[in-house]
Amino acid sequence: MDLSVPPDITFVVLTTITLLAAILALQAKELIYGAISLGISFIGIAGFFVSLDAPYLGMLQIAVYVGAVVVLILFTIMLVRREEADKEEAGEGGEGAAGLWIAGLLAVSIAGVAALAGPNLPISPPATNLPISQLGPVLTGTYPVPLIILALLLSGALLGALVLAKIDR
Amino acid sequence: MNLPTTPAELLPFIIAVVTSHTFITLVIFPGFIHLTVVVMFLTWYERKLLARIQLRIGPLYAGGPGGILQPIADGVKLIFKEVMIPYKADKPLFLGIPLALVFLGALPFAVIPFGQHWVIANLDVGLVFIFAVTSLFPSMILIFAWASNSKYPFLGGLRSLFQQVAYEIPMWISALSVVMLAGSLNLVQIVTAQQRIWFIVPAFLSFIVFFIATMAELERLPFDLPEAEPELVAGWYTESSGAVFMVIFLALYMKLYLMSSLITVLFLGGWWGPAFLPQPVWFILKALVVATFMIIPRGVYPRLRVDLLIKVGWTRLLIIALANVFITVALLSTGVLSAWGL
Amino acid sequence: MALNPWLLIVIWGVILIVLTGPMLTLPMFWSRRKPDQFRDMPFESGQVPQGEARKRLVMQYYPYLLMFVVFDVVAMFLFAWGISFTSIPASDSFPVLVFLILLGAPLGYALKMALRRENW
Repeated sequence: MDLSVPPDITFVVLTTITLLAAILALQAKELIYGAISLGISFIGIAGFFVSLDAPYLGMLQIAVYVGAVVVLILFTIMLVRREEADKEEAGEGGEGAAGLWIAGLLAVSIAGVAALAGPNLPISPPATNLPISQLGPVLTGTYPVPLIILALLLSGALLGALVLAKIDR
Repeated sequence: MNLPTTPAELLPFIIAVVTSHTFITLVIFPGFIHLTVVVMFLTWYERKLLARIQLRIGPLYAGGPGGILQPIADGVKLIFKEVMIPYKADKPLFLGIPLALVFLGALPFAVIPFGQHWVIANLDVGLVFIFAVTSLFPSMILIFAWASNSKYPFLGGLRSLFQQVAYEIPMWISALSVVMLAGSLNLVQIVTAQQRIWFIVPAFLSFIVFFIATMAELERLPFDLPEAEPELVAGWYTESSGAVFMVIFLALYMKLYLMSSLITVLFLGGWWGPAFLPQPVWFILKALVVATFMIIPRGVYPRLRVDLLIKVGWTRLLIIALANVFITVALLSTGVLSAWGL
Repeated sequence: MALNPWLLIVIWGVILIVLTGPMLTLPMFWSRRKPDQFRDMPFESGQVPQGEARKRLVMQYYPYLLMFVVFDVVAMFLFAWGISFTSIPASDSFPVLVFLILLGAPLGYALKMALRRENW
């Protein structure tokens, strides 16, 4: 590991935002704040996509996740009645210690792998830089069958969801 | 560019930054100053236009001819009014979301080209950037309506959410026809491809669908039900007062200018025009014409009922947009448009 | 200097926040802040509001949200195809047309339900 190179500022900022927002999404007292933090976390992930030279994927992430999935989550939260949401379950007291224990195990294993591998740290090969004009030909030319399977999956999911929404009333 | 190391180099550095093209586009045109001026002009313009349609006079007294300084008077008045936060409303959300709305309404202006070199950031995925940012609006309106802790805003916010969500897909699919004609998501390239023919001609159905969907996204009449005055007082921003209302008001007009500029870029040939006027002037003129056609129905048409509104968006407009995609496929495959370089 | 366009967008965003932030934060300093029970009551045209304000949720348009999620993804995939439409051979567009036709099934079902029922 080369510790003399300063970390990329974009990466540090994005990581901080994403992780803090994700932690806040789990820990927030008001569920609505949790949903908003989840949205911010998704925007952080979209930022990661953009910084990795996949801006189209980043925009897709924002449009689909933050634009549609977070709306669904907000709807679900607004369905829950306030008395049920405000009740906090009393933890058994060992949660902080368990969290530290797991984090410590993870840190030790990552450090161990890095130390043992030495200079030959296994890194995945850099992805080929695909410009956006090539995205379409790759999608339809090289992967037509996954595209059709995707269509079947989407229509099946949508039909199922619509039928379920009908039965509930 | 070297950063200044001694105080003697500071002044030339500042002059170099201030006169650089990047700074001018960021701050003056098409940046912050131009945006503020045009949005304030649009508020005055709408009131004057609606007044003339309704045989009134409109703003008259606020300085200058025809009350042109009325927006400044409005702004000063609203800033000094008290911000009332409803009982048990969620204060951080109530104050933070209007700021986020105006931020998201002004952010996409970074990619809209006002002239061949007058664009802040020439993004390769410019069009989906704008669509991604505008898809965040419905959720923020829903959160704001929930945070107001009051029945009228909540109902208005829900209706507004469903209305905007219903018309986003026809908007995107009709923009898909333009993308197919231009072959790029880069807004500068989309305008450059319209040098010989404006896309409104081959993609006329798309233009109609996009225009109607945009009016529904902006919640203008006849898609006005989320803020129907006899029914919902003012919809999702009922409880906003003073500075909060001013910020929301600005956000709505910023969205109007954004959508008018987007229609100009996608369908009306952007900055192309005869050379006796500079390119940005043509762009702003076309955007103002589009804004006029969005303002006029407000004084002319009655309101649509919300469930019919949503039904129309999903059934009729989406089918027409999809049909236009197939028409564009046919037009492009048969090479009819090759005379205009498409 | 040819800056990365995303960096320019970030700079534009910072300019926006810096210049529009005072519009809302400054008035908070000079507006009266003592909470008053009658002034802060939610507006109901003069009546005393009754009941929980966030209780009734309009659930009848819920299927439209489901359709929106799916067609959101579909639209983004179609954009990827639409960019390169003129530069790929016609046989490559065939899977996309099959894609659209396959998605026409739930669309038709949803629209049939929407047109038949009064409130869907």
